Amino acid sequence: MAKMKFLCDEERCIECNACVTACKNEHEVPWGVNRRRVVTLDDGVPGEKSISVACMHCTDAPCQAVCPVDCFYTTEDGVVLHDKDMCIGCGYCFYACPFGAPQYPQEGAFGSRGKMDKCTFCAGGPEEDHSHEELEKYGRNRLAEGKLPLCAEMCSTKSLLAGDGDVVSELFRNRVVRRQGRQEAWGWDTAYNVK
Amino acid sequence: MIRILSLITLTLSLSACYEEADVTMHQAGEYKGKIDIHTQTAEQREAILAKRFGQVQTDR
Repeated sequence: MAKMKFLCDEERCIECNACVTACKNEHEVPWGVNRRRVVTLDDGVPGEKSISVACMHCTDAPCQAVCPVDCFYTTEDGVVLHDKDMCIGCGYCFYACPFGAPQYPQEGAFGSRGKMDKCTFCAGGPEEDHSHEELEKYGRNRLAEGKLPLCAEMCSTKSLLAGDGDVVSELFRNRVVRRQGRQEAWGWDTAYNVK
Repeated sequence: MIRILSLITLTLSLSACYEEADVTMHQAGEYKGKIDIHTQTAEQREAILAKRFGQVQTDR
């Protein structure tokens, strides 16, 4: 069975932030919430590296383990999703996540923390596929349309890859061999290696 | 007598410093939200998405 994974090739990312923009536009993500962001290490220093970070849909997701209302679930293809109707916006998942993926929109007159929002791997949520509720709460369900996450599909340098872990790692391995570099997929050890 | 008492005190105080080395594993609870029903089965999706990956994300 395919296990969906993200991989960001730090040697190729040019920090254009197109993945961030594409995600926000595709899912109409509210103001102040970024499901995906580009982080630059050693910014301005020769040899700086950028990586595009969002929910990595961990194999043994820590957010799922700490959720007090058990609103997380993992689909058969390894995508970690949650039910916003159950989420109480406690913020535990934010502290547990090694990637800082969970986001909370400000709600109400006093800007209190709303229900958690995060990358869905463009797989929607527990609402009916393509329904208005799903679009409203979780954004577009591209996986149900036979498409992969938009952030990866429109990445101009093909730095960000999203798909079956075996296919993605094979592609990355070939790249590493070609450029004779080190095989180090950022975040993979944290997200997918179950201790 | 004092020596024995001090030895016992020392043993007890040192044993209080013992640190549990086992990591507490937090098991995820059972999902209590709505059931996510997909229009396609996981196998169907796998084949479609693999084809899509080949079309869109492979190196050229």
